[in-house]
Amino acid sequence: MSFHRLLLFLLLFLIASPAFPQEKLVLRGQVMDAGNLQVLVGVNVYWEGKEQQGTATDLDGYFYIPATTLPAKIILSYLGYEKSIRIIQVRDLEKVQRFYLKAEDFSLEEVLIQEKRGDEQVKNLELGKSTLSMETLQSLPALFGEVDLLRSLQLLPGVKSAGEGTTGLFVRGGSADQNLVQVDGAPVYNASHFFGIFSVFNPDGIKKVDLYKGNMPASFGGRASSLIDVTLREGEKDRIQGEGGIGTISSRLTLQGPLLGKNSSFLISGRRTYADLFLKLSSNPDLKNNQLNFYDLNGKAAFSLNEKDKLSVSSYQGSDILGLSGQFGLGWKNWVSAVNWNRVNSDSSFFDLQAYHSRYSYQVKFDNDENGFDWTNSLSESGIKASWTRVLAPSTTLVWGAHGQLYHFAPSDLKPSPNNPINRRQTQGVQGVLGNAFVGLTHEFTEKLSGELGLRQGVYAQLGTGKVYQYPGNDPNPDQEPSDSVFYNNAEVMQRYQGLEPRIAFRYLLRPEFSLKLAYNRNFQYVQIASNSSAGLPIDRWVLAGQYIRPIKSDQISLGVFHNFDQNRWELSVEGYYKDLDQVIDLRNGARILLSDQVETELLSGRGWAYGAEFLLRKNKGKTTGWLAYTWSRAWRQIDGISKDRPYNPRFDRPHDVSLVLNHQFSPAWSSSLTFVYSTGQAVSFPVGSYLVDNQPVPLYSDYRNENRFPDYHRLDASVTWKNPDQGRKWKGSWNFGVYNLYGRKNPFSYDFRTVYNNQINYSPSDGKIVSARPGVVMTYLFTFLPSITYNFQF
Amino acid sequence: MKKIWIFLLLSLLFSSCQEEVVLDLDQKDSRVPVIEAHWTDQSVYNEVKISLSKNYYDSLDQELIRDADVFIKEQSTGRKIAFRYLEATRSYRTNPTERARVGETYQLNVTWKGQVFQSEGLMLEPPIVDSVVWNYEEKRLFRDEGYFVKVYGKIPFTENNYYRIRVIENDTLYNQPEDYLLFDDTFGLQVFEKGLELGYAFQENDRIRLELYRINKDVFDYLSQLVNLLFNDGGLFSPPPQNPKSNIKVVKGNSQVLGFFVVSPVLSRTLVISSK
Repeated sequence: MSFHRLLLFLLLFLIASPAFPQEKLVLRGQVMDAGNLQVLVGVNVYWEGKEQQGTATDLDGYFYIPATTLPAKIILSYLGYEKSIRIIQVRDLEKVQRFYLKAEDFSLEEVLIQEKRGDEQVKNLELGKSTLSMETLQSLPALFGEVDLLRSLQLLPGVKSAGEGTTGLFVRGGSADQNLVQVDGAPVYNASHFFGIFSVFNPDGIKKVDLYKGNMPASFGGRASSLIDVTLREGEKDRIQGEGGIGTISSRLTLQGPLLGKNSSFLISGRRTYADLFLKLSSNPDLKNNQLNFYDLNGKAAFSLNEKDKLSVSSYQGSDILGLSGQFGLGWKNWVSAVNWNRVNSDSSFFDLQAYHSRYSYQVKFDNDENGFDWTNSLSESGIKASWTRVLAPSTTLVWGAHGQLYHFAPSDLKPSPNNPINRRQTQGVQGVLGNAFVGLTHEFTEKLSGELGLRQGVYAQLGTGKVYQYPGNDPNPDQEPSDSVFYNNAEVMQRYQGLEPRIAFRYLLRPEFSLKLAYNRNFQYVQIASNSSAGLPIDRWVLAGQYIRPIKSDQISLGVFHNFDQNRWELSVEGYYKDLDQVIDLRNGARILLSDQVETELLSGRGWAYGAEFLLRKNKGKTTGWLAYTWSRAWRQIDGISKDRPYNPRFDRPHDVSLVLNHQFSPAWSSSLTFVYSTGQAVSFPVGSYLVDNQPVPLYSDYRNENRFPDYHRLDASVTWKNPDQGRKWKGSWNFGVYNLYGRKNPFSYDFRTVYNNQINYSPSDGKIVSARPGVVMTYLFTFLPSITYNFQF
Repeated sequence: MKKIWIFLLLSLLFSSCQEEVVLDLDQKDSRVPVIEAHWTDQSVYNEVKISLSKNYYDSLDQELIRDADVFIKEQSTGRKIAFRYLEATRSYRTNPTERARVGETYQLNVTWKGQVFQSEGLMLEPPIVDSVVWNYEEKRLFRDEGYFVKVYGKIPFTENNYYRIRVIENDTLYNQPEDYLLFDDTFGLQVFEKGLELGYAFQENDRIRLELYRINKDVFDYLSQLVNLLFNDGGLFSPPPQNPKSNIKVVKGNSQVLGFFVVSPVLSRTLVISSK
C-alpha cells in the first residue's frame, strides 16, 4: 500500500470509530446446530453488504472475522439451514459468540455434496484441493458393497489408480508412497487391507477427507505428491446414538454420545469382514480351514474443557490376518493415535498442539518344528506439532509453528524355529529425526487479489546406532564387496539433510464467480518405499534418507481457472500443472530388498516429471448432483540403469482418465447412484519375441521399459438405496443394492506369457501326458458383474 | 516364499477368472543369438547350445545355429579346447577327455557371422555329499503324503556359495518355474549338514537322479532373474519384466546376446525309492 493510501485508511478508521482502542478488532464466534448442538463446519459468515469479504467456520465450528464499523449485522448462512442474522455491538467482541442455526424442513432439495461454502471454490486460495464429504462417499456404488475412501478419491481428477480393485493412489505423476495419509494428524503407513483391495477407513467413523494435490499449506509436509487429511468424527453431545451396516463382505457398528456430561463426547466405530465364510464354501480343501479377515476400530473422545480450550484424543487400530490350517500365518497391523489441544488465546490469537504416535507392523509365521520361522518387522513415527494463528490486520493472517518427527524402523527379524537349521537373519534398525518450522502469511492485497506465502524449513538427521558400508569407488554395486564399514553410536548423526519448501499461492477474482489461481510448491520427502512392483504389498520396505538415499524433492507449479454458475449450483474448474521430481528411486533387476542390510546396492535413482490438465464440472445442488472429471496427463521417469538410461513411462501413466459420478434423489425414500470410469491402459512391457534357454521357453523383452499398453479400462457401477422415509421412528434402516461392473467388461488384471499345453490354459506337465505345446497368452481379469447388498441402520 | 504369495493372492481373488487371448505383439526385427554353455568336470554335461530367438507366436521348435566357431580357453595356459557341432546332440561338443579343473578360469569364445561373444567362469571346488536318504511322511501343510528325499552333506566354504539342485524323476527333468532349486548362504549352510529336504512327494519305485552344481555368482543371479521372469504374471504385484542379465558379452559386433555360460562341478546321485 502506498503511504498516501495508508494515511487515508487510518484517518477513515479513526473518524469512523472514535470509541475504539487502537487494537485489532475481530469478532469470534462458534456456530452450532440448534437441534443437536453439533458444531457446523463451513458456515458462511459475512457482514451485511460485504459478502465478498466473508469467512467460513472451521472444523470446530469457530470463525473469526475482522470487524470494522460497529454496530453491524452479521449474517450466517449454510445450506440446509435457515439464515441467521444478528446485530453485533462492540461489547460482543470481548468473548466468543455462540450462534445456533435451525435446520430447514426436510425437502427434496437435500444437498448431497457440501463444499465448505457454495462459492468457496472460487474464493479460496486453495488450488488442487478436493474435499470429499461423507454423504458423497456413502452414496457411491462400491466394490463388494464396501464403501471405500481411497477408491473414491480415484474418481477425482488427477488421482489415478494402478489397476483394478487396488486402493493405491497415484497423484499427478507421483508414486503411491508419495501420498501422506493422515488421520487427525497422525500418519498411516499402510492404509489398506487385503493387499490393497480395501482401505483402512471405516466411513462411519470419518467426518471428512481433504485431498491436497496442488497447493499445500506450509503447516503440512512430508510427502512429494499429496496429502490425504482424514478427520475422524466426534460424538454428538445430546444422547447415545448408533449406526451400522451389514454387508456382503463386512459388517460395521458405530456408537457415539456424551461422555462425561454435556461438555464431552465419544465416538467408537468398528468394522470386521467375514470373508473366511466364503472360503469355507470352497470345494478346495486347501482353502477350507483357513482364516482370512480384517478389522478396523477407531475412536475419538472430545472434551470442551472451558470456553477457551478443547482437547480430543483419537485412535485407530486395524489389522489383517491370513492363516492356513492354524500353522501358517501372515498378518499386519496399524495402530495410530493422536491427541489434539485447541486453544483460543485471545480475540485474534489461536494455538493448536498435537502429539501423535503411529505404528505399523507385520508378521509372517510358520509353526513347524523343522522348517518353521517367525519373521517380524515394525516401524513407527512419533511427532509433536505446535501452531499459532494470529490475525494481524483485517486482511492479514499469520500462521507459524514447528513440527518434530521421530522415525524408528525396527530391525526386520527372521527367527527360525529351534530345530530349523537356517540362520537367524536380522537387518539393522534405522532411526531418523525430522524437525520442521513453518510460517505462512495470508494477505488480501486488494479486493480482487489475495495471496499466501508460506515457508517450511525441514532439518533431517539419520541417527545411530547404525552401520554404513563403504564401497570401492563410492559405487554401491551388488557385484562387489564393501571396502569398509562405519559404525555409529546411539543418537550419533549419520547423515544430515535440510530443505526449504516455499509454498506460494495467488488468487485473482476476475468477477465474483470467476477466479484465476496460481501456485508454486516445493516438497521434500525423507522416507519412501523401496519396491519394484506398482502395487503396495504389506511387506514393502520403507527406507529413510541416509548416505546413499537422498530425499525426494518435488517442485510443482499449477495454474487454474475457477468459475461458478447459476448461483453456485454448478462449479467448473480447469487446472494445469507441471511437476518435477528429483531423486526418485527404483530397483535393479532381481533386487533382494527385504532382509538386506545393503539396500543401497539394489537402488537406482533418477528423476521424474509429470504434467497435465484437469477438468472438473460439478453440480452441487438439486435432485441430481455429481461431477464429471477428465484428466489428460503424462508421467515420466529417467533413471540410469533402466530402459537404457532413456526416459520411460511408469506403469501408472494413463493419459486419459474420465470419471462420471451421478447421484439422483427420486423421492425421500429412493435414491440411486451411478459411476462410470474410463482410462487409458497401463504402460507395460510385452514380449518382442521368445527363445529357449535351460529347457525353458522364455519371453524376450525389449531393453526399453513399458512401451506397450494394456487395453483401455472402463467400467460402470450402479446402486440403488431405499431409506425408510418415516422420520419419527427410533430405528431407521435402509437397503443398498449395488452392482460393480454392470456390463461385465473383462478388464485385464494381468497377462501371463506362457506355454499352453494340450490347449488347456491350466494344464501343466505334472498333470499328465503332454500332447501339444504352443506359446500363448493368458489374461486374468478380476471382477465382472458383481452384485452386492448392504443393510444400513441408525438408532 | 514366492509360491505362497501367489497362492494367497489367488485364494483372495476367488472371483477372478482366466482366459486365453491373442495379443497383437510388436516383434523384434532381428533374431538374437542364444548361447547356453555348460562346462563341468564330467564330459557328459559339457556342451554349448546355440540357437536364435524367434517371434513370440512362432512354434516352439528352436532354430539352431550350426555354423558358429566355438572354443573354450584355459586362461592359465592359453590352451584352446575346440568344440564341434554334432547333429546327434544338436549342440557343440568336444573331446570326451576334456573337462574343467578345479581352480581354473575358463573363457568361452563364440564367433558367428563376424560377431564375437565371450564369457568367463571359475571352476570351484565341489561340496561334499555324504548321503541321500528317503522317508515316508504323512500329509503336512504345503506337503502331500509320500516319500521325501533328504540330502546330507557338508559345505565348508566361506565364500562363493551359490548352488543349484536339479531333480530328474524317471528320466524327466523337473523344469517348471517352481522346480528351480537355487540357494546361497543368506540363511547359512547348516541346512545341508542337518539334511536338505526336497519338496517332492515321490512314489515307490520312482527312480530319481539328483544333481548338485556349485555355480558362480553371475550365473546364480542369471538363473534367479530367469525364475522371477517366469513367475512374472505382468500384474500389479510383479516388477516390470526384464531380460535376465546374461554373463556373456558381445566383444565384436552390434547385436545382443542371450543365455549364460556356467562353469561348475557336478555331484550326482541316483536312487530308487523302495519301501524299507
